[in-house]
Amino acid sequence: MHSSATPYLKALGTRLLAGIPVLLLVTFAATALSDLMAGSAAQAILGEFATPEQIAQLNAAYGYDLPAWQRYLRWLGNALQGDLGHTLYSQQPVAQVLFDRALVTFEIAFAAMIFSLAVAVPLALAMAARAGGRLDSALRFAASAMLAVPTFVSVVVLSLLFSIFLRWLPATGWVPFFDDPLGNLRHLILPVMCLSVHQVAYFFRVARNEFLATLQQDFIASARAKGFSTRYILWHHVLRPSLPQVLTVMGLSMTYLLGGSFIVESFFAIPGIGWTVLSAVQDHDLAMVQAILVLTVLIFVLVFALVDLGYALIDPRVEVK
Amino acid sequence: MTPGKTHDTTTALPPHRAELARGWRAGIARMRFPQSSPLEAFSILFLIGLVLIAAFADFIPGLVNPNFPYGDFSAPPNWTLNGLFGTDGLGRSILSRVIYGARQTLIIVTAATVISMVCGIFLGMLAGYFRGFAEHGVDLFANTMSSLPPVLIILALVSVTGTSVLTMTLTLGILDIGTYARITKGGVISQNDRDYVLAARALGAGHGRVLLREILPNLVPTLTAVVPPLMAGLIITEGSLSFLGFGIPAPAPSWGGMIAGSTDLISRFPLLIFGPILAIVLTVYALNTVGDFLARRVDIRERQL
Repeated sequence: MHSSATPYLKALGTRLLAGIPVLLLVTFAATALSDLMAGSAAQAILGEFATPEQIAQLNAAYGYDLPAWQRYLRWLGNALQGDLGHTLYSQQPVAQVLFDRALVTFEIAFAAMIFSLAVAVPLALAMAARAGGRLDSALRFAASAMLAVPTFVSVVVLSLLFSIFLRWLPATGWVPFFDDPLGNLRHLILPVMCLSVHQVAYFFRVARNEFLATLQQDFIASARAKGFSTRYILWHHVLRPSLPQVLTVMGLSMTYLLGGSFIVESFFAIPGIGWTVLSAVQDHDLAMVQAILVLTVLIFVLVFALVDLGYALIDPRVEVK
Repeated sequence: MTPGKTHDTTTALPPHRAELARGWRAGIARMRFPQSSPLEAFSILFLIGLVLIAAFADFIPGLVNPNFPYGDFSAPPNWTLNGLFGTDGLGRSILSRVIYGARQTLIIVTAATVISMVCGIFLGMLAGYFRGFAEHGVDLFANTMSSLPPVLIILALVSVTGTSVLTMTLTLGILDIGTYARITKGGVISQNDRDYVLAARALGAGHGRVLLREILPNLVPTLTAVVPPLMAGLIITEGSLSFLGFGIPAPAPSWGGMIAGSTDLISRFPLLIFGPILAIVLTVYALNTVGDFLARRVDIRERQL
């Protein structure tokens, strides 16, 4: 078993290494950001009533008076040792704060992805089998209509419906899973539904077209000739060859889910990454903004490495290099 | 009705007139949107209507100023022009704010699209034509931009520059440069070895002429097809930022800002949120649908070649 897993691990390593230039570019851009501030960065952060001593203190702590490349090397050296700096006002370690918040965002994003896949893939399979029918056309229209609903519209409409009219779900707030699993679930449902409006439609669209293309293949005709039922063919012959495309879309939708979490978390007052970045932007907390950029890029690189690995696991013909 | 006679009448017209008539007729033929479904035709007409209403908002008779109170606070919708969507918490006409918000959004998004198209096409042509270092650079940039949620990129920039219409337009303009560059690059690479490019080179055309006069016109359909969905993405991004309070500064009407503003009173006046939601959802739907329509036409054209 060990020997057969090694090439996969190597491939994973190669993909991760390929993400390093992207990571370096983003972190450098994030460091250079403060040079875009009007006047001196320290002055802009502390406001117009800051004393020279305060400005000197901030510069000493964050180095905003140094050129960008020096600041960057300093940041990079610290980051490699696991030190991402301290938050501007509460002076907590950024890494610690971010870790707590990221868990919340990941829980929501992960739940939204699982939920969307669980709804969209079976529906797409069923509709691909009766492509062109009335139900199929209706769902395709519904999907393109749902794709036109931005997250900031779905949060407003769904919370109006489920927490104001029906009073089924809490309107705001968050309970950590380990404090109260059931309460956590109740607070999770609305955010997940809001993120899923777009995701279900997107997955349905891609998966249906992919399944439909697979259904045109010769091996489906031979499976039919052998007398297998349509249901058996769909689950055993169509699903697996179509999965790589679905997997790509899952990778791409990570970015969408993280972007959507800004809206969802600010609307429902959930202490996740999105909520954190908004308050960091308001406070000019650049260390935090930079750390969140790093985390986002890391997730993206990691997800796409896993997607590549997934191709190889789904389709043995894909060679792992 | 002899052929000769028809010929005579055509030549009787001044030549430029005949030219004009033929061009006009071709234009009409194109206006029928060949092979469009009813929804696609609706989307095209909706967008044309939206642009006209936004452009001539000042000349709509009876439409009140979007920034001044005109009636009761939070009045429910009624069948007058200004009260069609009701009034907001300050008594301003929501319809008027939706229309002026459309103008604001369309201006910002169009300007951002022009910025990203010009930069993206330029970079993409360099990358696809000269390959090597330019290609690596463009790939790195495009990968980086697609690895971050657009809202986060703009928030990071806004955290240091502050919010204004200008920074909004410029930062939105940066978002799609990578996408346009990647599409242009792919197009240039696929066209570069075709016979017509070879012929142009044989006739002594330089790099600039080959790229701009020979290859670029052939990329126009592909590039046109990606513009509407990317514009829809920009509208959503701009709306999200205005919703979060980092978009277009306050008194100016914006769809995202209006939706955010009406959530405070939503339990008492749920109908008042209808106007801006309808506007943004229809616009995004229409742009996506037109994008699908154009992409299908490009597919058909490619297959015919």
